[in-house]
Amino acid sequence: MSVATRMAPATLGLGTLVVVGAALEALIRGGAINRYIVPLPSQVLLAFERIVVEENVVHRFLLTTAETLVAGALITIVGVALGLLLNRVHLLRAACETWVAAFASAPIVLMYPLFLVIFGRSAVTIVMMGFVAALPPVILKTLEGLAATRSVLVNVGRSFNLTPAQMFWKIMLPAALPTMFVGLRLGLIFAMINIVGVEFLINFGGLGQLINELAERYDLPGTYAAIGFVVLVSVLFFYVTERIERWLRPA
Amino acid sequence: MSAPTAISADVRTSAQQVGFVGVENIVKRFVTPEGTVCAVDDVSFDVRHGEFLSIIGPSGCGKSTLFNIIGGLLGDYEGRVTVGGETIRGTHAAIGMVFQEESTFPWRNVLENVAFPLEISGLPKAERHERARHFIGLVGLDGFERRHPAELSGGMRQRVAIARTLAAAPQILLMDEPFAALDEQTRLLLGDKVLQIQQSLKQTTLLITHNITEAVQLSDRILVMTYRPGRVKRIVDIELPRPRTSEIVSSTAFGHHVAEIWNDLREEASRGMRDEEAHARHRGAL
Amino acid sequence: MTIGPVVGAGFGRVTVVRVAIILVLLAAWEALARSGLLFRDVVPTLSAIARAFVTLLLQPDFYTNLGWTVGEIALALLVGGVSGLLVGLLLGGSRLLGRAFEPYLYYLGPTPKIIFFPVMIMWFGVGPTSKVALGALSCFFPIALSTAAGMRQIDAVLIRVGRSFRATTSEMVTKIYLPAMREPIVNGVRLGLGVAMIATLLAETKLSNRGFGYLIIQAYSTFDMPRMYAVLIALFALAIAANALIGRFSAYRASRFR
Repeated sequence: MSVATRMAPATLGLGTLVVVGAALEALIRGGAINRYIVPLPSQVLLAFERIVVEENVVHRFLLTTAETLVAGALITIVGVALGLLLNRVHLLRAACETWVAAFASAPIVLMYPLFLVIFGRSAVTIVMMGFVAALPPVILKTLEGLAATRSVLVNVGRSFNLTPAQMFWKIMLPAALPTMFVGLRLGLIFAMINIVGVEFLINFGGLGQLINELAERYDLPGTYAAIGFVVLVSVLFFYVTERIERWLRPA
Repeated sequence: MSAPTAISADVRTSAQQVGFVGVENIVKRFVTPEGTVCAVDDVSFDVRHGEFLSIIGPSGCGKSTLFNIIGGLLGDYEGRVTVGGETIRGTHAAIGMVFQEESTFPWRNVLENVAFPLEISGLPKAERHERARHFIGLVGLDGFERRHPAELSGGMRQRVAIARTLAAAPQILLMDEPFAALDEQTRLLLGDKVLQIQQSLKQTTLLITHNITEAVQLSDRILVMTYRPGRVKRIVDIELPRPRTSEIVSSTAFGHHVAEIWNDLREEASRGMRDEEAHARHRGAL
Repeated sequence: MTIGPVVGAGFGRVTVVRVAIILVLLAAWEALARSGLLFRDVVPTLSAIARAFVTLLLQPDFYTNLGWTVGEIALALLVGGVSGLLVGLLLGGSRLLGRAFEPYLYYLGPTPKIIFFPVMIMWFGVGPTSKVALGALSCFFPIALSTAAGMRQIDAVLIRVGRSFRATTSEMVTKIYLPAMREPIVNGVRLGLGVAMIATLLAETKLSNRGFGYLIIQAYSTFDMPRMYAVLIALFALAIAANALIGRFSAYRASRFR
């Protein structure tokens, strides 16, 4: 396959993006689109620099990242522990697994006003919200990973007369790890999405709040630029976690 | 029952016109990242009407490519395929295909699966269900009409796929290793079943296989292909009495034929093996 | 240590454990509520929550707001779902288009959608339309992505079967492509419903004077904690039920296939 054919899709994708941007620019300049609703793409690009310099974006980015990492640590500890517990005590698992699955499908983040009452307008509310919303996938994936260990591997372990502890550390856990990493990554992404969302909603903290603030000031290019910035950050986050997961997963 | 006789009579009269397949100088090349590969190289043969012809060869001899070309699912080849003397391009109504892979529709039950081609040709529901039932009975699956493929064994699913192709009443039957995924016993018994149906419907049948026993058990003639590029190595007449059943596998004549074919095939198969090893080594070195 | 899914644990024992867990949780809650350890009213007594729940269900207001929210979400799912399905079919059907545009959808999918709310307000005003737009934007991504993936996952041999029987293009679509894609499409709609629901409701809590989100934020601003719990309970029950309902459409009787 030639280089040209391999590059064609990427070129088409990027090209379309540029063409749409240019068309928007022209339509707005021509007055076909109201520039008080959609700012000029060029203005938005310029506003990027402004929000980085004037709005303390680096600090906000670090704050949101820190909140996400704390929530991530919490879901790892609590989620994996609960998963192991449910896997170990079969009766508990039979009783609770459907509850956890049902909870995962509920709009948990709608509890943020409740958390606001309990923890106040603070980073604790934001972190706790991220933690609770991201917990179910971690538990479910831990369970799934442990339960899906191929029975032939378990039989291999039995044939070597492994103790239950050896069975867990040498067979069950290594077999479950890839699935557990999938759950942890999912959990981290959920946590990040919910944390940025709650920051925006309660107008407190890092990147989410920045968007709210700029929107309330009716700074159009700034709002668009800030949204673009957050999207870029989440894409980067998504990409990095994907890389880490691939790197951790045994080949 | 009157339906089965009606159907087989039907097939017999039209078979005289179109139950003859000609394959002339077929060449097929594939473009791969490593360059152009010639899969089938100048293959010619005929399948006489009502005949059971098997094509046998090691993996990589292009027999599945040939199957897809004759069935009209693969284009862009040199040479021509004729049915009843006329050149065909693309699929042809007289040809029915049975695939190697699991090919039943998982969302349809057995009855709906078998009725599929009749649905495509626009038969009313009652009629197509009646015909489908007949062919379900033919492959011995009475009572399973309402089951879904997931509830059946692999052998039963393949019988559904065969019944589905038969339901379209093709004068020419193409089968690409239809028994490959089955165990040896099921393979022998299902082979009997297919042979019985083929003989009673007088269908021209082309079977692609890599199993020598299966080929000798079923065929009038066997075409042995060479390993890459696929060429015709030899065509062997199988002079075993008909009607045949799988019991024939214990006869001396059968053993003689198997040995004869294996003699031809051994050289090709070992060429294939060496080639695969060389490929694996090459990949390992990269 | 035994392995694999629970075998032998009788239905009866599971029920007993479930009831026991619920009773323990309720008792702990009540004890916490009566102890006065937490700020007043953060953990209301069970009876207070029950009373608020009954009151809520008796108010006609509740059903009007429920109607608004359900309407918004349904419309969002319709708009986002149909556009997602079409885009997904396009991306799944063409290798070039898929390679060119799917990476964008793949990476934009898991970004927080609520941050687009200010833009939606500018475009569609402060009324229900902006909530519908945000919900549609949210559910577009999972539905488009799973449709595209589903289309590529169709077993190639099933397509060859259809062609060998000389099915027309429209027969191929209705009798082969769509049935074969049923599971991924339903799963996409299920994911889409989840995110559309969250986006719509969060938007309602941010800026609205009707809907379930508004009820929650209203309870918050009047510091009526029992009522907030009551609204949340009703909301979670409805969300879980809706999700389970869609799940029922998912699998043809072939869950054991492959």
